[in-house]
Amino acid sequence: MGLVKTAALVAVILGLSVCVRGAAPSIGAPAPDFALTTLDGKPFSLAEAARSRQAIVLMFIATKCPYSNAYNARMREMAAVYGAKGVLFAGINSNKSEPADEARAHAKEHGHTFPIMKDPDNKVADLYDAKRTPEIFVVDREGKLRYHGRIDENYENPSQVASPDLKNALDAILDGKAVEKAETKAFGCTIKRV
Amino acid sequence: MTRRAFALLFLFLAANALLAAASRLAGEVDAKGLANAVARERGRVVLVNFWATWCVPCREEFGSLVRLQEAHGKHLRVIGVSTDFARERQAVEKFLTEQKPNFPNYHKKSGGDDQEFIAAVDPSWGGELPFSVLYGRDGRKVKVLSGKQSYRDFEREVRRALDGSSPASRPARIRTRAAVRASAEASPEPRGLPLGRQG
Repeated sequence: MGLVKTAALVAVILGLSVCVRGAAPSIGAPAPDFALTTLDGKPFSLAEAARSRQAIVLMFIATKCPYSNAYNARMREMAAVYGAKGVLFAGINSNKSEPADEARAHAKEHGHTFPIMKDPDNKVADLYDAKRTPEIFVVDREGKLRYHGRIDENYENPSQVASPDLKNALDAILDGKAVEKAETKAFGCTIKRV
Repeated sequence: MTRRAFALLFLFLAANALLAAASRLAGEVDAKGLANAVARERGRVVLVNFWATWCVPCREEFGSLVRLQEAHGKHLRVIGVSTDFARERQAVEKFLTEQKPNFPNYHKKSGGDDQEFIAAVDPSWGGELPFSVLYGRDGRKVKVLSGKQSYRDFEREVRRALDGSSPASRPARIRTRAAVRASAEASPEPRGLPLGRQG
């Protein structure tokens, strides 16, 4: 094998060995599939969940992050309202500093009945290049990413929300329309990675 | 009457001066105000650090910023920006009183849409805290640092900026397999692609 081809092969192998965290999936592209176990011991597969739902809302959350906790009630309420319309909300805790027991206690304290999963070694966070909590990814029934970003713009005052971005995205998806504002940003806590 | 009016005016001015002196914050800032604060430091390397009192890694790295400012004196300006909720102002003042920073700290103005602020600071910033942005002496952005940094990490990047050896760049990112292949094949425009389905 020539020197150039050998060097190229080595580069590819080295590249493969470090390529564990890619860019965030693009809007409209297939959302990376994954399988985890919920805090109450049930298997969760994104691909399977998407097949039987109108959409899946993946929420990277935390127990100790004030930004994530500011949205506890809104997550709970939206999960109930949109659950009735065939949308599944699922929480993912990728923080190495928040063990399953703590996540379970937090969910109980805040009345979260949607599935919540620990993400060992933050593999799913890496797949999605999730950077903060809360951070939302909405996957449609075809497995495509349709929205990425925040729940709304006002973490402090739920009664004064001017831009209910997640709600707007879900309404558009359920109506079979394009999501107008498909990517948004907000402050949050860094995900505590291994 | 006149004497009383003067006394009241004096008390009013004194009270305001005391209040201003009591605050450890340099003021409130929006994206434009922050850009102006950075521009005023042209000729120095500037490190802007976004933090919040509830953010444990932010608190943990704050001492490193104080050391950094001390170590580099007039060649570096550290600027802190608290992104705490408006109602946490007291906690911010308490934190700054404890930390005794040798650099100005601002409070991000409340109200408005945070994502405009985030996007104005840097398009690669997802809003995660802590987050730092490094500017060269010419005012150009040279590096962004996401997450908690050690003193050594900050020191290395500041030294590079002081030496002028760090080119203006986006944060380093691990490239996807397709991009590595494209690079190996000497493609002119390597592009990242989704990783695809994984079990």
